[in-house]
Amino acid sequence: MSGGYDDELTRPLEGALEATTSEGPTSPAVGRDEWVARHGGNRVQRGGRLGTLEERLRIVPWWAWLATFTALFALLPVVSDSGYVRRVAFDIAIYLLLALGLNVVVGWGGLLDLGYIAFYGVGAYSYALLSSDHFGIHLPTIVSIPLIVVIGACVGFLVGLPSRRLTGDYLAIVSLFFLQLFLTVTTNGDDLFGRNVTGGANGLLNVDPLSLFGHELPVSKDGIFNVAYLYVVLVAFVVVYVALRFVNLSRTGRAWRSLREDALAAEVMGMPVNWLKLMSFAFGAAIAALTGTFVAALNASVFPLSFSFPLLITIYTMVILGGAGSQAGVVIGAVLIGVLLELLRDPGDSRVLFYTIIVLGLVAAFRLSKRLAVVLAGTAVFGLVVHSIAGAVDNDWVNGAGGAGGGVSDFMANWVIVPTDTASWVAPVSYISLVSLALILTLLRGWARLALLVPVLYLAAFVWENVMLSKPEPTRYIILGVLLIGLMIVRPSGLLGEKRVEIV
Amino acid sequence: MFPEPFRDRLATRVDEFIQLTLNGLTLGSVYALIALGYSLVYGILKLLNFAHGDVFMVGTFIGFGTLQLLGGSADPVVPVWLLLVLITLAAMAGCAVLGVAIERFAYRPLRDAPRIAPLISALGVSFFIAYSMQLMFGAALKNYDTFSLDGGALYFNGFDVGNVRVPLIRIITIVSAFVMMILLWLLVTRTRIGKAMRATSHDREAAAMMGIDIDRVIVFAFVLGSALAGAAGVLFALRVPTYATIGFLIGLKGFTAAVIGGIGSIPGALAGGLVLGFAEAYTQGYVSTRWSDLFVFVILILFLLFRPQGLLGKADIRKV
Amino acid sequence: MLLELQGVSMAFASLKVVDDLDLHVDEGEIVSVIGPNGAGKTTLFNLVTGVYTPTGGDILFAGSSIRGLDPHQITRRGIARTFQTLRLFLNMSVRENVMAAAYGHTKAGVFRSMLRTPGMRQEEREIRELAEKRLAFFGERLMGYRWDQPAYSLSYANRRRLEIARATATNPRLLLLDEPAAGMNPKETQEITDLIGLLRTEGGYTILVIEHDMHVVEGISDRVIALDHGVKIAEGSFEEVATSPQVIEAYLGTGGMAKK
Repeated sequence: MSGGYDDELTRPLEGALEATTSEGPTSPAVGRDEWVARHGGNRVQRGGRLGTLEERLRIVPWWAWLATFTALFALLPVVSDSGYVRRVAFDIAIYLLLALGLNVVVGWGGLLDLGYIAFYGVGAYSYALLSSDHFGIHLPTIVSIPLIVVIGACVGFLVGLPSRRLTGDYLAIVSLFFLQLFLTVTTNGDDLFGRNVTGGANGLLNVDPLSLFGHELPVSKDGIFNVAYLYVVLVAFVVVYVALRFVNLSRTGRAWRSLREDALAAEVMGMPVNWLKLMSFAFGAAIAALTGTFVAALNASVFPLSFSFPLLITIYTMVILGGAGSQAGVVIGAVLIGVLLELLRDPGDSRVLFYTIIVLGLVAAFRLSKRLAVVLAGTAVFGLVVHSIAGAVDNDWVNGAGGAGGGVSDFMANWVIVPTDTASWVAPVSYISLVSLALILTLLRGWARLALLVPVLYLAAFVWENVMLSKPEPTRYIILGVLLIGLMIVRPSGLLGEKRVEIV
Repeated sequence: MFPEPFRDRLATRVDEFIQLTLNGLTLGSVYALIALGYSLVYGILKLLNFAHGDVFMVGTFIGFGTLQLLGGSADPVVPVWLLLVLITLAAMAGCAVLGVAIERFAYRPLRDAPRIAPLISALGVSFFIAYSMQLMFGAALKNYDTFSLDGGALYFNGFDVGNVRVPLIRIITIVSAFVMMILLWLLVTRTRIGKAMRATSHDREAAAMMGIDIDRVIVFAFVLGSALAGAAGVLFALRVPTYATIGFLIGLKGFTAAVIGGIGSIPGALAGGLVLGFAEAYTQGYVSTRWSDLFVFVILILFLLFRPQGLLGKADIRKV
Repeated sequence: MLLELQGVSMAFASLKVVDDLDLHVDEGEIVSVIGPNGAGKTTLFNLVTGVYTPTGGDILFAGSSIRGLDPHQITRRGIARTFQTLRLFLNMSVRENVMAAAYGHTKAGVFRSMLRTPGMRQEEREIRELAEKRLAFFGERLMGYRWDQPAYSLSYANRRRLEIARATATNPRLLLLDEPAAGMNPKETQEITDLIGLLRTEGGYTILVIEHDMHVVEGISDRVIALDHGVKIAEGSFEEVATSPQVIEAYLGTGGMAKK
């Protein structure tokens, strides 16, 4: 009996996870050591209630999750008559597909594809060119959709080809420039050697709706968005999800995992790394192109401006938040960000959202502890005091808030400073102060950090109410930018991404 | 694109060529300054600093703000030359601070993370900066209105090459850019900190073991690169109105220039900037304004296919 | 000759790491490569596996040139290797590490995988069996529940064994082992020595080994090649090489010890 067993089993794994057996004693199937055999099936799990919950959830098979999610989604239009809700559901479904596609490239292939949205645009424009009055071609949907998927894959392949032997940085550059190129061609394509190819900045109109089994699906019925389009996208989502899952579980998925772990070792073990990366890139492009067709059909039009860099960053945030590499993760990420963006459109919702997230964030950071109470109470008191002082100095400084009545609203009106008119210097000064102080906050420790946190929170509320609420567009992108930076620093694996252990 | 008062003087093809070359030189100088920032940072950190274009954009805004503070272009409180110097210095200083902050808070925590992490963080920073500026200052164009300065002196003064007028404003742009690049070159090759930067870009661990303070070197690279971007911002915005999201496009061009010239190489940044400037100017003049971007893309692809290390970069040797 | 290097040179800029090297390995042989650090041994492996392209000379495998081929192409022709510094897929399970290496000789493509055709599922079963068989070669060490453990949970010695198992899953004819006994205690070293012999007799592999531990070299080698500064300085049986004055000088220098 050699001494090889002892070291591995007594070496604890890092972090606060405790190892427990999830099976009872088993008869030794292999090996002569009973204790070794008894620890068969050792799996690390979280202690406590969260751990048991996680274990129970783990038993639920993946397809059950998928089915439940899809069913809930599909029931939305049944539950709510609102055309708005249906439209938002459709938008989020589109995000789901886009996130799944980007996950293949970034999460599985490990590539930074900064031109991803261009493939989405290629799909949309291809559909518009092949199924509209523009060139007079009206391909039936059953032909155009598979064709466009192939086109997407081919274009993706061609774009990735120049950089296949170069580092990932080069692919990022090439794909970024491809996006720019796509935007240039579509915006200026109304004068391509004298012919109007892409409709220019005004885009293409009168794009055909989808037709299934010979029936044309009208885009709207009596002015309300046709729910059938949502179902088409959901079906596509399920098909893509399942197909990708199967690919990930196959030798290709194994090869992708290997090349993420150690690309050189993978290559030397017989896996053609460059080809595999290219394939993931093309896959992502194909899925993006597919998604483009649905959007073009529903909107009955395509415009260059829809395929912009901000959309790219939005999808990236969804993927990173959910966890690159995990399909379930990016689905959740897409839903969360999609809902977040929608809520940010309405000032009332944004306000509630802001304070909810602040409180949740504080709870997550401090748990239910004395420090949490101190911070919350301190911020409340600080605010009330400052507000009173400011109000005493000049009433106009604090009377700007609408105040819809009710206890919470009254409290807020007395807490946060909302001047009736803000001078133009207020926005930049307060915003830059907030950012600077927040950054300084990350450098402090202990009581100094708590002490600074209170005025920073108050200042944040001020900035939100006065500066950001009225400008939803830059606000949403600022939030996405901060999310990306924060995620990379604090939790790069996102919500459900694989936690990579790097024990040397 | 051809300055208004002089269009009718472009009588011959030679004139057209000279004018386009001048355009290319002006554009190229600005691109070169931006490309330098990318190269400096990439050389040391192997990081494509996507936020660099937005630092440039902040430079244009700081210049604009300082200009307004000093009375605006119609009625400045100081002489024109001093005005220009002050706004440039303000932009350089402000951008240097911004660059240091970006490095300290968004990149340094990720120094040992996999390559893709700081890149994604950079995307986030780029977005954050661009839309923060839009939040604070609005989405409208900001025009320096240089033509109003001293009754258009910067445009009417200058010298002639053949029938083509070289206005003072362009001379200032080109000369300032070149002077800064020469100063940078001297700094990198003749000073100790420059030597430290070069050592760090070759082998970070070895440099650290030789007693070089890596953090200081990296911060210095960001200071230099960002200051240059700030200066480029002012030089650019003196002639073209700016807006909050301009950083993406201009940054992309500066970045392409760095790659074409050889990313990581300082003379390469200059070469790449000029190549890009000329390519853009000639395409705009001889082919069409709308398709110059396409042309640049083709050049980039050709370089990546046949000479990925760029004009003056070194081929990458990887030891296993 | 299964593997043949003809006048192979490798230079990085102006630094010559391997200089005009002639070397061969016959089918069924176990050949050891020894030499002080920096002698170019791992570079030799990198050249043979296509990680580097030689700046001069040619490399022939089973009669045809493999110079300039991509590493995965060379692996498919039948050359596999382990790494001096382990390069396992640490976050993947033990079994998956070995299954991954079967990529080169399997063919289920993405479309068949998406549809989970019977052919693809059959191939997956076969890959799984192959992996388990290769792991079984190492006895109980890498068996049973260990198959599902992440590779990072293995002890150092087991990681070395896993790396060899993974290499064998590519179905190679020639196996390049880069310091397989590094960092092992005497008992484990003896096991590795026996194992390498078994790899030849039971596995049928031709083996080229880089080793520093002379006990291992003595125990396994049909032939030993000594390198120093990228040049072959001795070749022959273990006794011949161990007593060769050039080898002694390379390891010990020309001082007093060497003169003994």
